[in-house]
Amino acid sequence: MKLKRVTAVARKTLRSLKHDRRTAGFLVLMPLFMIAIFGYTFGGELKDISVYVVNLDEGTVNGSASASMIDELQSRDVLRTLEPSWPDGYAQSVDSVVDNVRNGDAWAVIVFPQNFSSNVESAIDGPADYLSSIQGILWIYIDASNPNIASAIITEVQTTVQRVLLTQYDIASPVLISQDMVYGEDAEFIDFFAPGVMGLAAMMVTFMLSIISFVHERSTGTLDRLLTTPLTEGEIVAGYAVALGVVGLIQSLVILSTAILLFQVQIVGSALLVLLVVFLLGVGNQGLGFLLSSIAKNEFQAVQFMPLILFPSILLAGVFWPLEAVPDLLRPVSNFIPLTYAVEGCRSIMIRGWGLGEVWPEVTVLVCFAAAMLLLSTYGLRRRR
Amino acid sequence: MRKRSVKMVGATREGDASQDGRAIVTRQLRKEFDDLVAVDDLDLTIGKGTLYGMIGPNGSGKTTTIKMLVGLLKPSSGTAEVLGERIPLKGRISDIGYMPQEMAIYTDLTVSENLQLFGSIYSMGQERLLERQEELLSMVDLSDRGDSLASQLSGGMKHRVSLACAMMHDPEVLFLDEPTVGVDPELRMGFWHHFDDLKARGRTVVITTHYMDEAVRCDIVGMMRQGKLIAEGSPRDLMDRSSTSNLEDAFMAFSKGVAE
Repeated sequence: MKLKRVTAVARKTLRSLKHDRRTAGFLVLMPLFMIAIFGYTFGGELKDISVYVVNLDEGTVNGSASASMIDELQSRDVLRTLEPSWPDGYAQSVDSVVDNVRNGDAWAVIVFPQNFSSNVESAIDGPADYLSSIQGILWIYIDASNPNIASAIITEVQTTVQRVLLTQYDIASPVLISQDMVYGEDAEFIDFFAPGVMGLAAMMVTFMLSIISFVHERSTGTLDRLLTTPLTEGEIVAGYAVALGVVGLIQSLVILSTAILLFQVQIVGSALLVLLVVFLLGVGNQGLGFLLSSIAKNEFQAVQFMPLILFPSILLAGVFWPLEAVPDLLRPVSNFIPLTYAVEGCRSIMIRGWGLGEVWPEVTVLVCFAAAMLLLSTYGLRRRR
Repeated sequence: MRKRSVKMVGATREGDASQDGRAIVTRQLRKEFDDLVAVDDLDLTIGKGTLYGMIGPNGSGKTTTIKMLVGLLKPSSGTAEVLGERIPLKGRISDIGYMPQEMAIYTDLTVSENLQLFGSIYSMGQERLLERQEELLSMVDLSDRGDSLASQLSGGMKHRVSLACAMMHDPEVLFLDEPTVGVDPELRMGFWHHFDDLKARGRTVVITTHYMDEAVRCDIVGMMRQGKLIAEGSPRDLMDRSSTSNLEDAFMAFSKGVAE
């Protein structure tokens, strides 16, 4: 293998990208777009969820538990509390307020019944036989069609109740959960998925560029032509790997800097190690694209491979959901997707601050993946002759 | 024009072809695609420094023969040597040049970048590379288009770039598959002058063409039909043997088995 010939192929590949301004722009802007979209969508915590609060509580001489809870809810910004307008007749009006949920104007209706405060008090002061006393009951009519929102509302209400019980009635839960973050202090959701998006973008682009370029090389006859020169199959594959690896690196740099500047994503570990992981992933996927290009007869057929490769990767490689959320049946598939290891590796480096000493298993898998793909594509090309 | 007898050209002898002035030797070379015989036990000998024209209709096996010689297709049976090495070439692969029928240039690169790519594949030095680039661009009359993207060129221009790419490293044996398609007559004349030059410098040029009238400019013409060589000789000789006044008629005569 001659380095000069490898660089000739790599330079040619990068040069053609340079001439194709739109593609070059796409390569830089696509990851930027991805991280920005994902960052803004998932990065923000849930906020301003519309809920109606119906307070029928009449309070007691000691005050009103419901009023304190409503104040507490309003002091936080997850829920936006709306006051229902008051028609006549209580029973009828609760139902008419719930209509706001039914027609989609609000996500929930929280109802404090008439004797809420007095029931709360009597439950607190009541006999030790806790269950026999009447508890204060708080009703929530909820649109659970969006599980994230539903669980946010419930968590919010529970937190509020606990706070008010603590501050107003001096009642604390007998169990206190003390959290000590080993890793990921101040980590937000975006810190979790930024490494995933980075791997995903690098993988998508290297795979796509590789399969399209090679199908093009095959169909236009340029590949044949290269094979009649002293270039060896290995040199062609290596040249492409270098070029597309570089493209993957540039993309990762774009994503990393955007994530840091725009979303304050933390990189506890070494950014260089992150780039190495992405480079290996890019080289491997380049090889995969190359292999599949020999099955595709034209660009259109090549495009058909993309969802086949991309969907499992997006869904099963732990980009947006942890691997633990992948059903047992599909777990083995996750273990076969190289992106899984790249994402896991990047995440450990960026959030946990791990070094090569800790992420070597992921790096090893990626090195093997890249090496296997390069060898197979070289072999595949050689068989053609 | 080098004088050589028809018999000698068609002869096949044992021995290293590179030692005895033969650039290409095929023996019983055969290529089958499923049940189609594209090249049918072809025996071909092409001497060094020969301008050899392969003529014949579509599907006569010209391109398949060339593809086997440059190592792109594996023969079904038979053997072939180029510059004394058995195909597929390894050691002598740098000494051949190939211009495929399809344009096969990188349309997303500029004309110069295409030439530079091929130059650097052959490990040409930067200085030699630029010198050669200039020389070839002027030969194919594209000196002012060096910086144009190949995709912006006309079909004929792309063909010219493709030819220049094949000649970049000044190979000993040049395989040109339909090099003059889409090239206007004036420039085509220029090409043939250049091919004569190559020959004068001892280069071997194998050209396939549809244009029978151009084939007259070759030293030796091989007429192919259905994977077989039906006649071979100098154009003059072929016309004499078939009592015709042009190669087109000669080809018809040989096809029908009228001559010989």
